[in-house]
Amino acid sequence: MTGPHGVGIGWRPEIAGFVADLPGLRFVEVVAEGVAAAGPLPAGLAALRERGVTVVPHGVRLSLGGAEPVDPARVAHLGAVAQRVGAPLVSEHIAFVRAGGVEAGHLLPVPRSREAVDVVCANVARAQAALPVPIALEPIAALFDWPDDELDEADFLTEILDRTGAFLLLDVANVYANARNRGADPVALLDRLPLERVSYVHVAGGAEHGGYYHDTHADPVPPAVLDLLRELCARHRPPALLLERDGHYPPAPALRAELDALAAASGFPVVT
Amino acid sequence: MTVLAAPGDTWGISGPAFLGVYLLAALVIVVATVVHRLAALAGPPVNGIGQLGPQQVAYLNGGQQLAVWASVGGLRGSGAIGVRPDRRLTTGGPLPAGITPLDQAIHFAAGRNATTRELVRDEWVIRALDQLRTSLEQRGLALAPARRSALRLGAFLLTALLLVGMARIVAGLANDRPVGWLVLTQVPLIVVAVLLHRVPWRTRAATRALRDLRRQHTYLTPASAPAYATYGAAGAAMGVALFGTASLYAMDPGFASQAEIQRQAISGTGASSSGGGCGGGSSCSGGSSCSGGSSCGGGGGCGGGGCGG
Repeated sequence: MTGPHGVGIGWRPEIAGFVADLPGLRFVEVVAEGVAAAGPLPAGLAALRERGVTVVPHGVRLSLGGAEPVDPARVAHLGAVAQRVGAPLVSEHIAFVRAGGVEAGHLLPVPRSREAVDVVCANVARAQAALPVPIALEPIAALFDWPDDELDEADFLTEILDRTGAFLLLDVANVYANARNRGADPVALLDRLPLERVSYVHVAGGAEHGGYYHDTHADPVPPAVLDLLRELCARHRPPALLLERDGHYPPAPALRAELDALAAASGFPVVT
Repeated sequence: MTVLAAPGDTWGISGPAFLGVYLLAALVIVVATVVHRLAALAGPPVNGIGQLGPQQVAYLNGGQQLAVWASVGGLRGSGAIGVRPDRRLTTGGPLPAGITPLDQAIHFAAGRNATTRELVRDEWVIRALDQLRTSLEQRGLALAPARRSALRLGAFLLTALLLVGMARIVAGLANDRPVGWLVLTQVPLIVVAVLLHRVPWRTRAATRALRDLRRQHTYLTPASAPAYATYGAAGAAMGVALFGTASLYAMDPGFASQAEIQRQAISGTGASSSGGGCGGGSSCSGGSSCSGGSSCGGGGGCGGGGCGG
């Protein structure tokens, strides 16, 4: 698989002009639900494709962790977007966003039980059967654990990846947030994850509120997350890193500095 | 009965003979004018235009009022100006590097707490706008008032011809001669004369450059919710220049409404496709009569008198 490579950034319409001006960029991610399955691609995205930049559709609404089977229409849309942008793979979260017909509006954590593993694996298998390209799964940040957790995070993920053959989309900010908010060591989790299965890594900013670290995607990447990224690269450097920024977009120099920090921490070429 | 002149002919010329000469004269005037206009309104070749700054783009897109708004957008984007509760401008910080004479003039006016309406009448602003227009004229993108007047020669000649035709119709009627064919020729010639009287105030090269810039800067359309903080002051100014003051409202709605900036969205398609729909071409003549504000600013889909030509 010629998957994403190097340092990338999440393509958002709000910063399309900034992304277009990054000379060394080889890889972006786009929110799959924001791209129409038919009709012209957003102008900025089409231009990136012409430059040969790899575009990975990132789903947020499949609800792979939901008790009901994944909606075939949503899977079909994700697959159609993947084909439109010539993506080598797609990604989705291990989470649920709706239950009993009620939309939660954001990603909710799945209890780490054996039963949940079965549910997630069944949904991933359904998605894989309909998708034209491989899928990478991203564990989410959670402020709390379910009381009926039977597995720890590493076992839970390893089990799902082993059974589905999916790739891992690791979010170092999530790893940091989960460990911080539970008083655990984030590096210890890295040592127990199948790092060779990582297709790319999310890096995002966050902020502390009321003693908890929130993975906001709207704040600068804190030094501690960059340190964790360095630890990860020292163990097994992932093929690609992606800076996720979803709001409170800073001036261009600040955003470029974050991309440069990712390149410095990983040893990948600078894209700015 | 088709002799050149008969005793009863109006002015001693037969109807068909007059009509022939009349139509030939009209044809010569129209063809010569169209050929001359095509050449005169071409402007420099595509790669001969060079880089255009936001205020130049704004001037070409919507006249001097839009140039002022583009500057206001840039100054607001860098925090150099603000607005007081009494709706008068104020300075919010030092001038950033790389500013234009227009920025300087508007910042100065803001320091004297002008309202945004007063800006286009400010002496310094007018001087900076004149400078801006002159530079665009020299680059072959905008047309100087004298040049636009000269390009109306064909329309005046055609109008004179129309008057002769009218006189002949009146005389023919008085003489009890048939004038039907002559009346029929007058109608299209009046339409052509009106069209020729309209002279765009920018060249086709400028229109083409604007179209290219709009395509390159699609990400600045207010519909994309651009991250103005990321694009900086220059991005804010270019957004206003290409897409109107709707960009100012998207960037800083509090400032834009408090400063009473007229809201206007420029779609781009209307201004670049055809000049026909933009009757207001003459209201912008020489760029000096635009200060009325609404004549140019409120152009809406027309881009404030952007007669593509």
